Amino acid sequence: MIRFVLTITLALGFVNAFGQKMMTREGYIRFFGTTPAEDIEGVSNQAQSVIDVSTGDMAWQVLMTTFSFEKALMQEHFNENYVESESYPKASFAGRIENIGDLDFDTDGEYDVTVAGKLTIHGVTKDVTANGTITIKDGEALLDVTFDAAPEDYNIEIPSVVRDKIAREFDVTVKAKYQPLER
Amino acid sequence: MLNNYLKVSIALLLLAVSFNGFGQNDLMGLLDDEETTNYATATFKGTRVINLQSTEIPGAGVGQFVILHRFGAINDDPLYNLFGLDVASVRLSLDYSVNDYLNFGIGRSGGTKTYDAWIKAKLLRQSSGAVNMPVSLLYYGSFNVNTTKYDDNLDRQFSDRLSYVNQLIVARKFSESFSLELAPTVVHWNTRLTEVQPNTIFGLGAATRYKITNRVAITAEYMLQAPQNTRLVGGVETPYENSLSIGFDIETGGHVFQLHFTNSRDISDPNWMTTTPGSWANGDIYFGFNISRVFTIKKPKTPDAPGF
Repeated sequence: MIRFVLTITLALGFVNAFGQKMMTREGYIRFFGTTPAEDIEGVSNQAQSVIDVSTGDMAWQVLMTTFSFEKALMQEHFNENYVESESYPKASFAGRIENIGDLDFDTDGEYDVTVAGKLTIHGVTKDVTANGTITIKDGEALLDVTFDAAPEDYNIEIPSVVRDKIAREFDVTVKAKYQPLER
Repeated sequence: MLNNYLKVSIALLLLAVSFNGFGQNDLMGLLDDEETTNYATATFKGTRVINLQSTEIPGAGVGQFVILHRFGAINDDPLYNLFGLDVASVRLSLDYSVNDYLNFGIGRSGGTKTYDAWIKAKLLRQSSGAVNMPVSLLYYGSFNVNTTKYDDNLDRQFSDRLSYVNQLIVARKFSESFSLELAPTVVHWNTRLTEVQPNTIFGLGAATRYKITNRVAITAEYMLQAPQNTRLVGGVETPYENSLSIGFDIETGGHVFQLHFTNSRDISDPNWMTTTPGSWANGDIYFGFNISRVFTIKKPKTPDAPGF
């Protein structure tokens, strides 16, 4: 009995020590909104994310100033007037791969995933569910999920003069290639 | 004894499980370990505060067209001339940023009929975090050609028409709403109009911006001269005034709209800096506005998505 408990304890400790965590510092986030007047697309590939593959827990964070736009002025307005990057420099997400039990990180293949959790933008936290896939290949995991977000949900103020130029809802695409975290 | 081992083991087991349970906090902690550099952006709204160059240039690959407009003096028979609105002096300018650090342009200012070409370069960017830089530093230089017809019969050369401005721009964005700028300046005129008038005038420009809302700001600027430039008034050597301007910046999407009051009617660099005859105290005040429109010439590369 003692040996059994000790073994389990050590095994769990071992698992923890080796992290079972996968990470990226080059996560890709793209948001796109279209109106007859203007298409707005912001893209960053400098988001950071980590997954705990044993629990399915997932965390993200991205600096708002890393988003780039087709027009330099759009980027300035995004940071200065809309997401107010000086006051709220980062967006973050804390959630979980709901169906982590269906995934086998040791076996190559494509798995459907649902990621649910809390997304914080502009200091406002909302529940978000994203659907997509995780593809496992050679010990790396490629996440590819999408969800929708509305600026007004995050208290992002849009003046009435430009209201028709900015989409009510943005499509958000999230992609990340995770590597096992070395310790 | 055995029982104790068992208890300790179970405690360790629970501890191990609970660590897993705390995974979420743990994960966020993993992401925070890299310190980044945050660069100050939009220290000023426009590329000029009013007449004085600001710390800003359009983004890489972006061109800008600016119309600068100065009406007549408010105190010149105000009701008859509707506070100067009957007459106007206009400057048109076009510039382009080859990258995030280097901008050049050309322009023509009415009144003195001056053509100019300039270069503006960012040397240091204000930042905090991994790289800490308290101020932004820029260089600005302009080459000016006055094309006014001479009304005397003296023998003139092309070089007589030239004047040069060299300037360093030091600025700091103290907070989201408050920015301050100092601009040590050298203005050189190839020709003097009187014997007393200096050829080279040192100047110190100062400017500030205070944001009232996200899209509206109050601005002000001043230019000191040393030695004070002079001109003849009724045969008497008289000093020029220093330029003082106060205005509003209003941002509307692709435009920055700047409205202001100034004692400098001429918009050409060497003129507003060193040949301002009007005085605020006497009510020689001119209403004016700058409107800028930017257009993207070279699109920036969109970041690539990861894949296998």
